[in-house]
Amino acid sequence: MNALIDFFSFSDPNIRFVAFGSVLLTASSAIVGSFTFLNKKSLIGDAIAHAVLPGICLGFIVSQTKDPIILIVGAFITGWLSLVAVEFITARTRIKEDTAIGLVLSVFFGIGIVMLTVIQKSGSAAQSGLDHFLFGKAASLVGSDLMAFGTVALLLLVAVYLLFKEFTLLAFDKDFARSIGMPVKRIELVLTSMIVLAVVIGIQAVGVVLMAAILITPAAAARFWTNRIKVMILLASIFGAISGLSGAYISYIAPAMPTGPWIVIVISTIAFISFFFAPKRGVISRLIHQRGIRITINDENILKALYQLGEEAHDFFGERNLEDILRRRKLHPEHLVKILKRLKQQGYLERHDGRWRLTEEGKNRGQRVVKIHRLWELYLTTELRIAADHVHDDADTIEHLLTPELEAELEQLLKYPKQDPHKSEIPYP
Amino acid sequence: MTSANTSVRPPALEIHDLTVAFDRKPVLWNIDLALPQGKLVGIIGPNGAGKSTLIKAVMGILPLSSGYAKIFDQPIDDVRSRISYVPQRESVDWDFPASVLDVAMMGRYAKLGLFRSPRKADRDAAMDCLKKVGLEAFAHRQISQLSGGQQQRTFLARALAQQADIYFMDEPFAGVDAATEKTIIDLLTSMTQNDKTIIVVHHDLQSVSQYFDWVILLNTRLIGYGPMEQTFNQANLQETYGGKLTLLSDVGDLIRRENFPNREGAKKVL
Repeated sequence: MNALIDFFSFSDPNIRFVAFGSVLLTASSAIVGSFTFLNKKSLIGDAIAHAVLPGICLGFIVSQTKDPIILIVGAFITGWLSLVAVEFITARTRIKEDTAIGLVLSVFFGIGIVMLTVIQKSGSAAQSGLDHFLFGKAASLVGSDLMAFGTVALLLLVAVYLLFKEFTLLAFDKDFARSIGMPVKRIELVLTSMIVLAVVIGIQAVGVVLMAAILITPAAAARFWTNRIKVMILLASIFGAISGLSGAYISYIAPAMPTGPWIVIVISTIAFISFFFAPKRGVISRLIHQRGIRITINDENILKALYQLGEEAHDFFGERNLEDILRRRKLHPEHLVKILKRLKQQGYLERHDGRWRLTEEGKNRGQRVVKIHRLWELYLTTELRIAADHVHDDADTIEHLLTPELEAELEQLLKYPKQDPHKSEIPYP
Repeated sequence: MTSANTSVRPPALEIHDLTVAFDRKPVLWNIDLALPQGKLVGIIGPNGAGKSTLIKAVMGILPLSSGYAKIFDQPIDDVRSRISYVPQRESVDWDFPASVLDVAMMGRYAKLGLFRSPRKADRDAAMDCLKKVGLEAFAHRQISQLSGGQQQRTFLARALAQQADIYFMDEPFAGVDAATEKTIIDLLTSMTQNDKTIIVVHHDLQSVSQYFDWVILLNTRLIGYGPMEQTFNQANLQETYGGKLTLLSDVGDLIRRENFPNREGAKKVL
């Protein structure tokens, strides 16, 4: 608990560095990654992330230091090389992009691991800590590193700000972008360079193996909450920042622990929560919506049954008992009572001595359902030429679905007919 | 407009010896044509005839194997600001996080240029175009919540926002309701009355003669083009839709299989 307070009071300048650094790195990766996600190029991020490892090793071999700028340059070169390789393979052979990505990713990463092992065995004192690039170590972010990585992160943010409209259009409709003479190739080049840079700086916190998670997952999670791209990108950056901060905290209290996996666990938890609980797009919200539809269908079916009983008896407001209703609509009596009680609560029914009668509103709603049912049957038989004995089941669904606008359109199209195909009267209010 | 007048002005579109290939196999062979300004032109032909390919090639979206296209007697890149392109509705992901107004506003991007974000005036202009296609009430709706006809009208609003002189539209009537089709055709007709040239890839043979002034008949090669009454006849239709040219198609397949260049000196594919 003390560690928690120590960390989040940010009183120690080292902690401030680490916390600020990880937030900046993960948030900027998440922002750039949002466009990767919208371009449906998520796998490319993974390929680049793995391909920067040989570049980092090469940077070290050449300079024999862990100077962040040299390592960034090395990572940038091999990251780019991997993209060129993927593009070349896809354009010039019959191999598809996913296969090309798989090939390039494993080859580059394999070479990177070989080089890393050679460096570690070489006995060079300067090499210690290079393996942090594999799984990330936020706590090793200090002073000069932070300056270099922070500058790159800011550069990325400025580029997204300036080219926001271009990146958006490219993700939505590339052909249109070309048609208005936008320099599509050059903008793609900029975006790709930005992805490479985002990976290069993000690996400090997350490591190459799990970098794709911080690039893509925040955007995927944010998409569940909003339909607006600016809000989505803002949310993605917040999600990224939260996971970066928690990674830094873990790295602080448990120095032996690699940061990357923890960041990934946090961001994945956010993604899971979004997947289930987001309003509208979330799974639970969809289930609730489905349940609402089922309830509406059940309720309207009972009102329809009561209305039809009223038609038979030439008295819509007569009292009916359970057997009367069950005769028209087969379902479990307990279930029926539940529905009847709900309809009573909503003011569509009244209850006297265990018998039920429609209120004015209940009659109107039942009548509307019956009307749409019969109109739809007529529409199917006259406009679509479907046999009269094949239209009932379809109408049973449509009667609960039609909006008032479509209902009016249907009435007009059929010219307010009097009878359905089975010679039942179509009731109008 | 008199024919004497049109002959003086440069053609809206001139295509010379244009060949386009996919994976080496030519899908359009040696197309040559010229269209006058201010006409509503339909491109007609069976599935796979290369209708969409033709306008994509003209727009520079697809690479040409040979030939060139000019608009108002100038290379395409010099007159882009006067051109509007409406892609097929299915070519984009409508689940993209954007509103109807966002999409309409994209029509202003060319005028804005790089780095600049849309201003209030661009918003007004986009809103105005949404009004013209009857979508002003839907401006802030997410595009995935639109019907097919409304999505098509959104694209049309974006095209109008470009304030171009020549419009290329890829199947604007595909999958739209009757009301939308009427809205669109009325709009296009009134645009040609203002001397805009509109070139439309079209599928429904029934409505061709009613909708268009000119027609281009296409089936991998150009069968004919010209004013409706002279071109849209039984013989041309027979040639466009009747029997495939098996030899032509076989030669195309052979080019692909043998990895043969379409023109000497073309790039190699491994």
